[in-house]
Formats: sequence, C-alpha cells, structure tokens
Amino acid sequence: MNKSSPGGGPQAALGKLSMAGAVVAVAVGAALVLGLALLLKALGAHPFTLKASTSSSTGGQTVAHLTISAYPDSMAGEHGKSGGAHPDWVSYGPTTNLWVPAHALVKMTIKNYDSATALNSPFFGNVQGTVGGVAYYNGKPLKRINPNDVAHTFTIHMFPTAGQPPLDVSVPLLGVADNAPNAPGSQYPKPTVVTFEFHTGASGRYIWQCFDPCGGTSYYAGFGGPMQNLGYMAGTVTVGGGAVA
Amino acid sequence: MTAQTSVGRPAHHDPNETKPDNPLKRSIVSGIAVGVPLAIIAYFVTSGLVHTTNADPATIRNDSLVIAYLGWGLGFLFGVGAFNRPIQWALSRNEPTHQDELELAGHRGGAWRYFRFTTDHKVVGIQYLVMGMVLFAAGGVAAMLIRLEVIQPGAKMFPIQTYNTIIGMHGLIMIVATIIMITGPFTNFVVPIMIGARDMAFPRLNALSFWLLFTAVPIFLSAPFFGGFQTGWTAYAPLSDQTALGMDAYSLTILFFVASTAVAAVNVVTTVATMRAPGMSWTRLPILTWGSVASSALGLVVMPSFLASQYLLMLDRTIGTGFYKGDRGGSQWLYEHLFWFMGHPEVYVIVLPAFAVVLELLPVFTRKPLFGYRTAVGGIVGVSSLSMIVWAHHMFVTGWSPTASGPFMLTTELISIPTGLVFLASVGTLWRGKAWMTVPMLYLISFLWNFVIGGVTGIYLADVPTDVQLHGSLFVTAHFHYTLMGGGMMAFLAGVYYWYPKMSGRMYDDRLGRIQFWTMQIGFNVTYMAMFYVGLQGEPRRVGDYAAKFAVGNFISSIGAFVIGASMILLWYNLIASKRRGAIAPANPWNAKTLEWQVPTPVPLENFEEIPIVTAGPYEYGTPAEPAHIAGEGVPST
Ligand SMILES: [Cu+2]
Ligand SMILES: [Cu+2]
Repeated sequence: MNKSSPGGGPQAALGKLSMAGAVVAVAVGAALVLGLALLLKALGAHPFTLKASTSSSTGGQTVAHLTISAYPDSMAGEHGKSGGAHPDWVSYGPTTNLWVPAHALVKMTIKNYDSATALNSPFFGNVQGTVGGVAYYNGKPLKRINPNDVAHTFTIHMFPTAGQPPLDVSVPLLGVADNAPNAPGSQYPKPTVVTFEFHTGASGRYIWQCFDPCGGTSYYAGFGGPMQNLGYMAGTVTVGGGAVA
Repeated sequence: MTAQTSVGRPAHHDPNETKPDNPLKRSIVSGIAVGVPLAIIAYFVTSGLVHTTNADPATIRNDSLVIAYLGWGLGFLFGVGAFNRPIQWALSRNEPTHQDELELAGHRGGAWRYFRFTTDHKVVGIQYLVMGMVLFAAGGVAAMLIRLEVIQPGAKMFPIQTYNTIIGMHGLIMIVATIIMITGPFTNFVVPIMIGARDMAFPRLNALSFWLLFTAVPIFLSAPFFGGFQTGWTAYAPLSDQTALGMDAYSLTILFFVASTAVAAVNVVTTVATMRAPGMSWTRLPILTWGSVASSALGLVVMPSFLASQYLLMLDRTIGTGFYKGDRGGSQWLYEHLFWFMGHPEVYVIVLPAFAVVLELLPVFTRKPLFGYRTAVGGIVGVSSLSMIVWAHHMFVTGWSPTASGPFMLTTELISIPTGLVFLASVGTLWRGKAWMTVPMLYLISFLWNFVIGGVTGIYLADVPTDVQLHGSLFVTAHFHYTLMGGGMMAFLAGVYYWYPKMSGRMYDDRLGRIQFWTMQIGFNVTYMAMFYVGLQGEPRRVGDYAAKFAVGNFISSIGAFVIGASMILLWYNLIASKRRGAIAPANPWNAKTLEWQVPTPVPLENFEEIPIVTAGPYEYGTPAEPAHIAGEGVPST
C-alpha cells in the first residue's frame, strides 16, 4: 500500500477543512431530518380518534360505550359531506380510529345503513369473541347470521407485535333491504342496529377491518379500494393507557 | 461532419447576436413562469369542461390532475427554451451561427448558466451531478424516516399510509438517482473529452434531457400532497389502479423521466459512434465510454417499457380503460411484464456504468494497464444483452408460468458469466499492482467487496426453490441494496472523488474523504448485513411494523443507516466547502492518461484548441511509451 503519488505527482490536500465544520454539518443535518419526521408525524395524524365514554359500574369494572356506523358511501363520516377523494366508497364513521379503556367491558353499538353483499367465506358470518358469543340484531340475540345477508363485518385482529394480549372480536353486520327507501329526512334507509359486548385486557394496539367483499365490482373480488384503506373499511383500536394515538 | 469543422467558422458580426440575451429568458425562472400558470389553467379548464356533473368542486379529480401535470411539464419546457430551435426551424428562420451556439453553450460563463438551457456538456454534467446529489439527499431523508419508524416494533412514528408513501418515494427517487448518477454527471462531463470531441453530438438534446428530468422532480415530490401512493416503487396493478391521487404523480414522473433517458441515450450513442478524435479506435476507447454506450443502448430498449406500463396505468385511472383490471379483460400480469422488462435490465443500466468507472479508475491507481481490456468490454456487452431475457425471475411466485421459471432461472444465472469477466478484469488489474490508496481507490475496493456479496445473494433469488422462500422478504431488499448501493453508489462515489478536481477546479479534503469512506462502508455493511439476517428470519419487506423477534436486527440496521446518513452529510460538506476553500487542483492530479486529464482545469468551452490525434491506448501505464498517449501540437501541456 502506498499513499503517495507515483512519479511525485501532486496529491489531494490533506485536512484543509475544519473537522468542527463537519461535525456541525452532521448535527444540523440530523436535526433537520428529525424535525421533518416530527412534522410528518403531526401532519399525518389521523383526523381524530373516537374515545369510548366510560362509566364505572358494579364490581368496580369499567364499562365503556362506543357507537359507530357503517354507510353505503363516504358522505357521512370523516371525509366530510362532499365525501372527500372517494365519495362513492363504503365507509365506517365518524372515524375508524377507536379508543377503549384497558380491563373494561366495552358495550359497542354499530348502526348499519348499507345493504348486503354475500360473504366470500361464510366463517365471517359467525359472531366471535363477544360476551356470550352473541350480538343483538335490532334487539334479537344471534350467534351467526346468513352469509348472504352480511353488509360488513367489524373484525379486530392483532398487530403483529408481541407483548400484548390477543383481542379477537368479529361481528357481522346485517344488511338493510336492497330496496329499502330512505328514512324521512335522511340520505339513508333506517339502519339495522347491532349491539355486542367484549372484554379488553391490558393495553395494546390492534387493527380492525371489514371482511365482507364490499369494495365494489371494479376491484378484484370486491377487496380493493375502501377495503384496503384506513378511514373506510379498516381502522385501529387502541386499548388502554391515556394516550390517544 | 466531424468535430473539426465546427472550429474556426467565422463569427457573424451582427451586433444583435453578440449582445447577451436577457438572463431570465430560457432559464429556470422563465420555465416556472410559464409552467405554473399553464398547470393551473389546464387544471381548471379540464375540471370545468369535463366535469359538468354535480361533483363537489373541492374534490380533486385525477384526470384534471394529470392534465395539470402535463401543463406544467410542457409549459416549463417551453419556458426554459427547450422548443426554441424546433420552432425557429419550423418557421424557416436562419440557421444559428457559431456565435449563437456559443451563446447557448454559456460562453459568457458565470453561475447563472447552470440555471439555464445551456448546451455545454460540462455544464450539463455538473447540473446532473447536483441533481443526482439532491435526489440522493431526498431519497436518503426518506430512508432515515423509514429506519426511524422501524428502529423498534410498534409503528409508533407515522400513520401506516404515510409510511407506505415514504417507502415508495424512497424507492423511486433512489432508482432515478442511481440511473442518472454516473451517466448523468460523468458521461456528460467526461466522455466527450475522453474521446476527443468538442461537445456531444446533439447539444440541445443534451440540455433537453436534463430539463426533462428537472420537470419530473416537482411532479414526483407533489405526490404526498395528493394522498401519496401505497404501492411501493413497483406500483403493481391493480393496487396502483386503486390507490390515492399521488399515483398519478408517479405515472407522470415516469413519462417525463423516460423521455429524458431516451433523449440522453441517443445522444451518448451517437456521440461515441461519430465524434471520436482521429486515432481513437473502438479498441482504444476508455472503458467508461464502453460502459456509457452499453448502458445507454440498453436503456433505450428497455425504458420505453416503463413508460408504457405507466401510460396504460394512467389511462386505467383517468378514463376508465381496463388494461390491468381483470373484470374488464385486463391482466395484472401485463403490468408486471411491462414493469420488469424494464425493471431487471434497469439494474444493469445502473450497474454497467459503475463497472466501467471501476475498470476506468483501477489502472490509474494501480499504475498498471487494464487487465484484459477486450474481455472486460465483452463482459459489459454480454451483461447488457443477457439482461433483457431475465425479467420474469421477479415473477416466479406470481403463477404466471411455472414452465417458464426454469428457463428464466437459467438466463439469470448465466449473467454471472459476463459479470465474472468484469471481475476478472478488475482483479487482474489489481493483481500485483502497487495500489495508490486514495479515496477513489478505497471506493473501488469497497465496490468489489460489496458487489460480490450482492451478486452471490442474487443467485439464491434467481433459484426458483430458494426464491419461493425468500421472495418478498427483507433478504431481497438487502440483496439489491448490496448491488445498487454497495456496488453502484460506491462506484459513483469513487467517480465523484476522482473527477471532482476536474469538474470543480479544487481538491477535496483528503482526511474528510477517508472518514467519509469508512463511515459509509462500515455503516453500509452493518445496515444490510442486519437486514439479510431479519430477512432470513422471515420479515417481509416494506412493513412499518413487525414481530418482536425481528427487533434486534432492525435496531442494528437502523443504527447502521444513521451512520450512512451522517457519512453522506460529510460528503456534501466536503464537496461544498472544498469548492470554496480547497486547494486549487492541478490539471492532472492523478497522472492519468485519458484525455480529460490532458486538458487544462477549468476545461475551456470547446475542450480542445485543436482536436488531438490519439496514438496509444488509455491505460498504458508502466510502459516505456509513457506519457505518449496523445500527440498533436494543439494539445495544451499541463
Ligand atoms: Cu365492508
Ligand atoms: Cu431482476
């Protein structure tokens, strides 16, 4: 090895620049990247998270109440009255980011304004993970509904992050009749009301989504578009802690 | 027409022609002044005329957005002066005089010519160098954000959709940056001088190629403001059919970028074919020239396939065609074929010039002739031809054609033979050489180290059975970073340090250069060795959250990446600060024999006072003939 020029030619100037300048440059660069990261984090935050209202109850257990809806379009949820980028996409609302307390009994209500699309897999016609293994459809308790009558499902599953308890809940929503007229003064028919209860464990972060092929015929097997986008047919469930992501 | 005929042409003495034109004309300023209003007008005209339905006017429609991008692109190119000469020609105006050409080439000097439609190949080379560095910075910032998100499991940093967009933007920006990183700056700046020409064959096309690229960049950077895109850089249909408006920015970017590469490639091939100095036979061509020609010719064949893939996607998205939609008789396989027919050869569009830089510099720093020049050229040409029949190795697991997997596996593995020839030439040149350990030389060695790892891991991905296991994992990501970054970008960095004295007129800071090298090489290997590990463990690529068992590997990988980021800042600092405070560079600091080092620094506008006559090959180091590479009284002495 040889650091000098063969033939005595000139070579690169050694250490003309100050190392302090280089260190400052790296520090400034790192600060800029970190600043951008925090800015993006703030800007990219989902519009809002729906927090379950809590009430303590008998036996000291926390009881939480949460109500959301499923719509045949995007004109009633977080995308505004104009429907945002995809007014015709089916959606859940008012938001798809949900927060429920840890170690609580969650009493959930979902109002569904949409008509049915037959399930690909009848498995998702079953009610799972709820108290008593049932959900109440307009007040009537059922363990499963006909796969052809499902409009959407509300299915929670785990983030692949270990160290949090499983939370597996799946409830099919009963569709309204295809030819149901709009309710007076409403842009939608009278909804089917689905209620169910489930228990949360320690805090954790989960995702939930619909497993009914409701994405519309222009997408493969009905699973594109709204089915693969948060804010439409998918969202997050944060359990516990005070932190609302 | 030979280059000589352009010298000594009597200049017109029309006083109007020698007056400098308004510096704002045919500049970035006039380009923006035309492009932005035209984009706005195009948007409102189309959204007003086409959408008379009762859709909410606040809703941005993607067909209007596409037209607005086109308006920006055409308006900018018009404003920057790219169409001036074609319009004059169509209107049968006078042929431009030599004085006009000098004016266009920026003979008045000054920094402003770098912001104008300037035809001098050296200006274009430096424009490309800066653009390449800016793109690396943008893609690098995205990489830092990615590694920040995945430094620990839990997706704590960004919403998933933001993360997906960052992944896709990092991918495409880096692909564009690596495609242009060598043929943009070095082929443009160096090759015409190397072959003894006064400029490129088509100086206006040369400027056009840069400004076409420039047009594409703001389009792409606008993607996040329109919801980004969730597809990664491969933009597979039908997912890309369905994703947010940001996808349209991607498609339009590719339209302009592919036009840019085509224009540049035609120029490089024509220049080398027709403008070599007397005595510069094909077998005396410096190897960088071969690499540039092979890469350009390959790009000319395969890049239009990328354009087609995005054009059809744009039609699917805007006017409702169904090229990629199964329910409309389209096929997602069509997209994958069009994409990968570009996508695999494209890695060689990137790597061939990198091979060439390595082979070009090794003789200089070992003071030996290049070992097996013709073998090396054969390797470069062989890689470039074979690379066009391997694309479906990206589709082994798509179910497209199980029968075709075997032949595609074979062709893919055959590429290791011509690649081996290039390595043979490299190692043969190093063999018993007295290595002069400059910063460029360190990068040449890191190229050999990294690219071997990239190449060997590629064999596992070319093998159908192992690919079925490894496909879609971070093993793939680590593999192609070893080839494109560990190989390609290290060769680019060798070139940056090597040609910096010629391009900038200053010497870089050697100590800082060495620190930059070691942080880069160590940071790089830490980052991607760890990524190989989590990939083998089974972590899928592109994910923003992952299981706890991948945590250690990802943490190490992120630390390595931050070291790379710091290293790149050191490079920026060195290049910028040395430009102002570095030692004045001699004309030939490396005692190299190729022609670009025989001309003064800074290189005069038309490179040579008289076209040199070449009498020897470019790598005849250590022979008695030294330094008799060129003869001819017009060549300035150093
Ligand atoms: Cu649904
Ligand atoms: Cu490939």
